[in-house]
Amino acid sequence: MDWIRKGCLALACMAMLSGCASSSLFVSYPSQAAKWKAELSHVPATAPSVPTESQGGQSSAHNDETVEQADASPKPAGLAPAPSRVSPVISKLEAATGGADGVLYLQELGRVSQLQGQREASRNAFAGAVAAYDAEDNSARIQVSSLAATGTAMLTNDNARPYIAPDYERIFTRAYQALNYWAAGDTTGTAVELRAAALEQRVAANKREKEIAKAAEDAEENNVDVSQFDGYFEGLDAVAGGVKSSFQNAWTFYLSALFWEAHREYNDALVDYKKALEIHPDSTLLKEDVERVSNAMKGKPVDGGMVAVIYEQSFVQARAEFSLPIPTVHGIFSVAFPTYALEDKPRPDSLRVLDTAMQPLAETEVMADVGALAAKDLKERMPGMLVRQTLRATAKYNLQKEANDNYGAFGAFATQIYNLVSEQADRRSWLTLPAYAQATRFTLPQGEHTLLLSTPQGDATLTVPVVNRGLTVIHVAAVPGRLITRVLPVQEGPL
Amino acid sequence: MQRLLTIMMLGAALVLSGCASKVDYGDAQGRETVNTDFGSTDLQMIAAKMVDDMLVFPPIVQLTQSRRPVVFVDSIKNKTTEHVDTESITDTIQSKLLNSGKFRFVDMTKVESVRQQLDYQSESGLVDPNTAAQMGRQIGAEFMMYGNFSSIVKREGSTKDVYYKFTLKLMNIQTGIIEWANEKEIRKTKTKSLFGL
Repeated sequence: MDWIRKGCLALACMAMLSGCASSSLFVSYPSQAAKWKAELSHVPATAPSVPTESQGGQSSAHNDETVEQADASPKPAGLAPAPSRVSPVISKLEAATGGADGVLYLQELGRVSQLQGQREASRNAFAGAVAAYDAEDNSARIQVSSLAATGTAMLTNDNARPYIAPDYERIFTRAYQALNYWAAGDTTGTAVELRAAALEQRVAANKREKEIAKAAEDAEENNVDVSQFDGYFEGLDAVAGGVKSSFQNAWTFYLSALFWEAHREYNDALVDYKKALEIHPDSTLLKEDVERVSNAMKGKPVDGGMVAVIYEQSFVQARAEFSLPIPTVHGIFSVAFPTYALEDKPRPDSLRVLDTAMQPLAETEVMADVGALAAKDLKERMPGMLVRQTLRATAKYNLQKEANDNYGAFGAFATQIYNLVSEQADRRSWLTLPAYAQATRFTLPQGEHTLLLSTPQGDATLTVPVVNRGLTVIHVAAVPGRLITRVLPVQEGPL
Repeated sequence: MQRLLTIMMLGAALVLSGCASKVDYGDAQGRETVNTDFGSTDLQMIAAKMVDDMLVFPPIVQLTQSRRPVVFVDSIKNKTTEHVDTESITDTIQSKLLNSGKFRFVDMTKVESVRQQLDYQSESGLVDPNTAAQMGRQIGAEFMMYGNFSSIVKREGSTKDVYYKFTLKLMNIQTGIIEWANEKEIRKTKTKSLFGL
């Protein structure tokens, strides 16, 4: 049994070197994420009760100032400074941000806090995630800790590797951080984050080509025939659908275009509208936007104020596991791959905006199909994953053979169990992202307007301020059983 | 045995001191190259270049020979992809110009507080009217200082290149003439190391 002891020691050693805080090693990530997704579905008792959040009920909001007021209101005397404000799920999430997968949990935390109206917490979490991206970008090309993690992954599964946020998640982080600054009335901060989101998209486009070529080359070197697995990933292709790349996000382009337009930076606005149109060439909404901004550049601005609705529908689907048992003379091996199943993918449904006379004003369009981006991203990572999977299967096969030959029936059985249990697909991804990020816009005359937002998830009535040549953004997130709405401060005038 | 103990203690001391975190004072003017983000050295380089250039520019020298013109600082537009406190840059420039004895400044960020204080002095009835500062006696600024701060970031493979350009202008408010302008360019490149922990 000395051999097993040595093995255990080596495993522990590697785990320590690799940081080991990969919480998803044996507990699948989607089941962890279900907890904080559920947290969003009910109105947080701990969050400040603000009129900017409604549940299909009447709500009026002018700007986010109300949040501050609710926060700053004096607590009744005699009450302890409530530590109970933070729910156990959130504190668990916070605790997980310290681990090797920290960036993933920071993203989740930032998003959950944002939807619960806790802007400061959200901003800190996203800033932490951005710091992690920077660290990742600046890290040495060959890292001892990542080699160790790969070593651990060789004997367990891919979840032992530290989580590296894909580009589409980075872009969403930047966009959400921009919304945090936007909600706080910090236009400079918003502008910085929107520029950073555009930068991420540009960098992603540059590096993409090379990376895919390199992964395919690696697969060739290791004699892995990627095409033999093609049949298993039909679901992946179906979910990825029509998206051309794993990162092009028209929604964030649209958000920044709206922002630039409101601040009369027509040149920047036109570029971003055009980029969005490039991704969705058939959208009449975007064509109109391009035309309008082109006219504005010629000095023909439209009268009235713009109201935009950014609508985030549901949650993005989680990765499914595709497990393939391989019987050999030395026992059964299982090979597990992450994949996406088409049946898990929610259907897009739009949000309709009606005025008080129930006349339709606008209907949202899908700007980013996040599930498709995720599926496309997974597909791009596939060659590398298959190489590791093949090497791992070989390692585990050799382990089993060794055990069968030298350690008797019990050793063989234990190794067999270990091999089957440890084989888990890497199902980690940012799961509080919306399934579909949608948007629309329309113009209204200056003044207060009452609007009815109608979605299959429920309705909400909002009173929004409209300023001539200004922009009012209504941020709506439909999570199961609840419609979260807020009105962001009006943007107008030069930056 | 004694020797072994000493070696062990030395070893332990070495290991433990490696773990202890350390606080130290550094040179505030020292070159900071932690990463390519905007940092203290950039701020100092920008401020130094702007002030040095402005104070030796012949028309400015002539202008400030017999009087100290009053300037107000408008904000510097941050057009970079980083959250840079541009006010901190203009604060440094302002302090340096003030200390040169050539310029005087009015602070537009404090107008509200000043107004409150003036209201208090004239209306509260608590302040001796002989010593109260009077309304309408402030000196109007002759020049406005404003500018832009932009960046171009490129990231590919293991290289990150950041180019900053800081532009500062001095405009005569009455005539609208830009009396002086200058820019400071900074380029920073970072290449990833091959090995690391």
